[in-house]
Amino acid sequence: MAYSQHTADLPQGTVTYHKAGSGRPLLYLHSGGGFMESKSVLTLAEHFTVFAPVAPGFQGTPMLDGIDSIKTLADLWATFIDEVIGAAPADVLGYSFGGYAATWLAAAHPDKVDQLLLQAPAGLAPGGGTGIPDDPKQRVAMLYKYPDRMPDGIQPGANYAENRDAIKQYIQTGYDEDLVARLGDVTSLSLIVLGSDDQLVPQATGQLLKEKLNKAHFIYVYDAGHGLEVDQPDRVAELARDYFTRGEAFLVNAGQNGTGVTTRA
Amino acid sequence: MKFAYFHLMPYTGKKDDTHDWPVANKLFDADLGKELYDTYIDSMVDAEAAGFDWLGCNEHHMSPYGLVANPNLVAATLIPRTSQAQLAVMGQLVPLLNPIRVAEEYAMLDVMSGGRVIAGLLRGIPHEYVAYNIPPDESHGRLSEAIDLIVKAWTEPEPFGWEGEYYQYRAVSIWPKPMQKPHPRIMMSCSNEVSARVAAQKRCMFGLANLQNFDHARNLMNVYREEAKAHGWEPTPDDFVVGLTASVDEDLDLAKDRLTEGRRYFADVLGGGLRTAQQIVLQKTRYMDDETRSKFQGANKQAKISVDDLINEGIIVCGTPDMAIEQIKRVHGELGIGNININMKVGNIPDAAITNQIKIFGDKILPQVKHL
Repeated sequence: MAYSQHTADLPQGTVTYHKAGSGRPLLYLHSGGGFMESKSVLTLAEHFTVFAPVAPGFQGTPMLDGIDSIKTLADLWATFIDEVIGAAPADVLGYSFGGYAATWLAAAHPDKVDQLLLQAPAGLAPGGGTGIPDDPKQRVAMLYKYPDRMPDGIQPGANYAENRDAIKQYIQTGYDEDLVARLGDVTSLSLIVLGSDDQLVPQATGQLLKEKLNKAHFIYVYDAGHGLEVDQPDRVAELARDYFTRGEAFLVNAGQNGTGVTTRA
Repeated sequence: MKFAYFHLMPYTGKKDDTHDWPVANKLFDADLGKELYDTYIDSMVDAEAAGFDWLGCNEHHMSPYGLVANPNLVAATLIPRTSQAQLAVMGQLVPLLNPIRVAEEYAMLDVMSGGRVIAGLLRGIPHEYVAYNIPPDESHGRLSEAIDLIVKAWTEPEPFGWEGEYYQYRAVSIWPKPMQKPHPRIMMSCSNEVSARVAAQKRCMFGLANLQNFDHARNLMNVYREEAKAHGWEPTPDDFVVGLTASVDEDLDLAKDRLTEGRRYFADVLGGGLRTAQQIVLQKTRYMDDETRSKFQGANKQAKISVDDLINEGIIVCGTPDMAIEQIKRVHGELGIGNININMKVGNIPDAAITNQIKIFGDKILPQVKHL
């Protein structure tokens, strides 16, 4: 299901966003690569109304005055939920860079987030983690286990170079101690998802979030790198669908026909 | 060097040479079964007293070939009766099983034994996939994924889930965790190059159930070493385990005759049905690629080679104690391995002879070769 592009005039400025699908609203916060119609993202729109705003400064959009940190970006997404989605609290899925913003959103605005899904979230690597190589080939090798699974017409990691300045604006550290101190403020049910072979976000990040968040589950996606939406799109999308459809009941095997297990209200 | 005493636990009451598979279990005599289990377990306890470093067993299904459907039960039985020997489960057939259960049972054994478990994580032989109704084509994929999941279950500090190709678990946090840190040593079977590479990638011990010839073993060991180097580590002799059949007696002819008859019984009486299922799996599935299948069938033909020829090739331990010492030294010299897995109970070799062999190993052989 293809996404359509829109703009929203928010008090902080104009935000570009992509939208597709029907059903329960889902705020999707993209990775440092920018918004990409991956197979996983397309599948989400078969089950939910997906709102995917573009972080200011990404993909050719201008930076906005006052939106100069990951925390102020999270504030912008809280406004987006109120003004564009119009249904707080909303379900939120954040991927890598977007996962970092989503964690801040859930910590600073717990009333805006219903269920939270963090895919390989950045900013929480104990010890600071490793940076992303500037060399394109090295970058692709680091991020993806199966770069050949990238959707047609998209070069693996191509958008990263375009977005690099914005990323540096928002991300000041690989380990955000302020955010770690606020993780206990998150009240939403949370799911952390990490590729079993992620070379950028360490497994310690998932373990930290599992330990610090109030109601969290942590799942490895086997045989996936940091680019898990590309490496294992079907598994990632199905996990998200199940989690957002059934809530905490997603822990329970739904059986072959999915009968006998209730969905969320 | 370290030495393992391995027991396949064959059923020795079968008399006919039918090749049907599965073998009809109406032939099973439970009273004899009880006697065999008692005898076999006693021999493993004797082996520890004689100086063997490991006590080993493995898993097979639906065949008189080996009566160990769950080797962890054997290991559990040995825990209170032994104190020093490593309990080498070589191993559990992971693609057939629930990996979380495998992780749990090994963790239980490791804690109960005070950290004495060596955890074999194996693919198994073809007929097992018919027995447990698992697609043989999935054997490599299931094994590789399951090993990663098992290691996670042993080591992960927080509850976690797993979204894999073959295994999906939404919440895992096993109790107990293993005593050994970060986890018990893992051994994989490396009877082909694919398996040798996977074992090196996962930093598992290299296991070769039966030494076919030195060139074959060296080639696989080199594949393992090269793959390990590519993954940033260097194996030591202690990472290699090679299996040898042993028949030792002060009387050379007796040692050879016993082994000859034991091998005949094993191949013709115990192994016939198993080979029937094996042929179906190998011919009708992608359990093995063509090259590996050819080598595997070559190994089967080895069963027809005479004991004298095997002695001459240096790939079994057979003869007097002095001969056995030299044969072990030759294997060590040729391969540079740190562990030898000794299998004495071949087919229907009398258990009194096994008891005598264990004593000979303890008194005369092990003291001469452990320093290697």
